[in-house]
Amino acid sequence: MNIYLLSPEISLLALALVVILLDLFMDRKWLLGVVSVVGLIVPAAFTVALWGTNQTAFGGALVVDQFSLFFKLFFLVVVALVILSSTDYAHKFAAFRGEYYAILLLATTGMMLMASTRELISIYVALELTGISLYVLTGFLKDDKSSEAGLKYLLLGAVASAVLLYGMALVFGLTGTTHLREIATAISAEGLLSSPALLMGIVLLVAGFGFKIAAVPFQMWVPDVYEGAPTPVTAYLSVASKAAGFAVILRVFYEALGPASLDWGMIFAVIAAITMTVGNVVAIAQSNIKRMLGYSSIAQAGYLMIGLAAASTTGSSALVFFLVCYAFTNLGAFIAIIAISNKIDSDQIADYSGMARRAPLLSLALALCLISLAGIPPTAGFMAKLYIFSAGIDSGLVWLVIIAVINTVIAAYYYLRVVRVIYLGAPLSEERVPSSGALRAALSFACLGVLALGIYPWMVLRIAEVAASMLLP
Amino acid sequence: MLGNFGYIGIFLLAAIGFAASTILIPVTLRFLGVVPRKPNPTKYTTYECGMETVGKSWVRFNFRYYFFALLFVVFDIQVVFLYPWAVHFNQLRLFGLVEMLAFVLILLVGFVYAWRKGVLQWK
Repeated sequence: MNIYLLSPEISLLALALVVILLDLFMDRKWLLGVVSVVGLIVPAAFTVALWGTNQTAFGGALVVDQFSLFFKLFFLVVVALVILSSTDYAHKFAAFRGEYYAILLLATTGMMLMASTRELISIYVALELTGISLYVLTGFLKDDKSSEAGLKYLLLGAVASAVLLYGMALVFGLTGTTHLREIATAISAEGLLSSPALLMGIVLLVAGFGFKIAAVPFQMWVPDVYEGAPTPVTAYLSVASKAAGFAVILRVFYEALGPASLDWGMIFAVIAAITMTVGNVVAIAQSNIKRMLGYSSIAQAGYLMIGLAAASTTGSSALVFFLVCYAFTNLGAFIAIIAISNKIDSDQIADYSGMARRAPLLSLALALCLISLAGIPPTAGFMAKLYIFSAGIDSGLVWLVIIAVINTVIAAYYYLRVVRVIYLGAPLSEERVPSSGALRAALSFACLGVLALGIYPWMVLRIAEVAASMLLP
Repeated sequence: MLGNFGYIGIFLLAAIGFAASTILIPVTLRFLGVVPRKPNPTKYTTYECGMETVGKSWVRFNFRYYFFALLFVVFDIQVVFLYPWAVHFNQLRLFGLVEMLAFVLILLVGFVYAWRKGVLQWK
C-alpha cells in the first residue's frame, strides 16, 4: 500500500496539529493565520504532484484520481481564501484564534477525504469529520445567535446523518457490499433495479446528502445557520461544504447507483426545480444580506442539481465547472461583506446604502460578484449557467431548463436590488471602510477568478471535463 | 440478500411485542382486579436501589466533571485501539508500530492542549 497517496491529507492534518501547538506555546497570535495559509502550500504541492495518478489504497476504500485531486485542490484554495479573509474577523474570538484555524483545517481534511473515498463507511466517517468541525465553527462567536445556529445545525445534521445511515444500510443490505463499484455490479447482477427497497435506499441517500447541499426540503437550517455563524464560516459553509456534498453525491450516484440513474435522475430533477424556485422566491423578501445569500445559495444548489438530473458526463463536468465559478463568486461576495459589516456592524441591506462612496473598491467587488450570481455576462456565473443549462437540454430536460431560466430572471431582481442600494442610495455616513491587506488580496483573487472564468473559461472547463470523466467506469 | 431482512423483521416484531406486552400486562391485571391498589407516600417516592432517597434530583453538578469526562473518552478510545494492536503486534511489525505512534502523537496533542488550557488543575 502506498502511503504517498494520502500525503495531502496527512500533511494538512499535521498542519492543523502544528497550529494547535503553536497557539499553546507562542504569544504572537497573528502568526497563526500566516502559518495556516503558508502551510497550505505543502498539501497543495502534494496534490498537484499526484495529478495524473489513478490508484486505490486501503482495499479500494481510498481512490486517488483526477476527480478527487481536483476537488482536493479546490478545497485547499477555498480554505486559503477563507483564512485570509478571517484576519479582519478574528478579533471577535481573539481568545480562540488557534482553535479556529485548526478546526477550519480539520474540516478541510474531512472534505478532501470525502472527495476521495469510494466506500460507504469511509464516506460516512469523512462526512462526520467535516460535519462536527463545522458545527463547532458555527457556534464560534458564542453569542445568542451563533450558539442557536450551532445547536440547530448540530441537531438537524445529526438527523440527516441518521437518515443517510439508514439509506446506506438499505443499500448494503440489498447488495452485501459497501464498495461503490461492487454495489453497481451487484445491482445489475441481481436485478435489483425494480426493487422498492433499493428505491427507498436511494431516497434516503438523497435526503441525507440533500442536507449537506441544502436542497429543498432539507434547507430549513440554511438561513438561521448562515445568519448566526461567523461570516467567514458562512462563506466556507456555502462554498466548500456544498462542494464536498456534490463531490460525494457524484461519486455515490454515478459509481454505485449508475444502473438506477433513471430513478435518481428524476428525483434530482424534481428537487432541483423546487429548490431553485423556493430559494429565489424567498430570497426576495430578505432584508439581511447574509440571509439573502443563504437563500441564494439554496437556489444555486438547485441550478447545480440540473447537472445531477442530467445523469451524463456532460452534466457532471458542467456541475464541476459550475462549482468552481460559484466558489469564486460566493467567496468574493462574502469577503466583501466581511469587510463592510466589520465597519458598520450590521448585516442589514438597508445599511449598505451608498456604500459605493464609502468603499468604492469593495462595493465594485461586491457588485461584480452579485452580477455573477445573477448570471449576467461577462462573469463566471453566466458561463456556469450556460454550460449547466446546455447539459440539461442535452439530456432532454427542457422543462427543467425553462424553469431555471425563469428563476434566473427572478433572481436578477434581488441581486440587482442590492447593487442599486449600494450605488444609488444615500450614504448613511462619510466614514471610509478599512480592510486589511490579506482580505484585499483574497478579494482581488476571487474577483479575478470571476472575470477570468467569465471571459476565458476553456482551461478550467477542460480540467473539469477530465475530472468528471473519471467517474464512469 | 433480501431474505436476510426477514430476520430483522422477526427481531423487530419481537421487540415491539415485548414492549407492548410489558406495558399491557399490568394494565390488564389492574383491569381484571387482580392487582390491589393501595397507594401510600412511600410507594410514590423515587426508587433508588433500595436506598432512601436524599434530596432532589435537580442538583447542580460541578462543571469540571465535564472536562474529565471528555478526557476520559480520549483515554478510552486510545485503550480500545491499543489493545488489539498489542495482541497482533508480532504480525503488524514496524508498520504497525509507526502507525500506532502516529495515532498516539495525534492524541497527545489533545492532552497537551488540555494541559496548557489548565483543565488538569482542580482549582
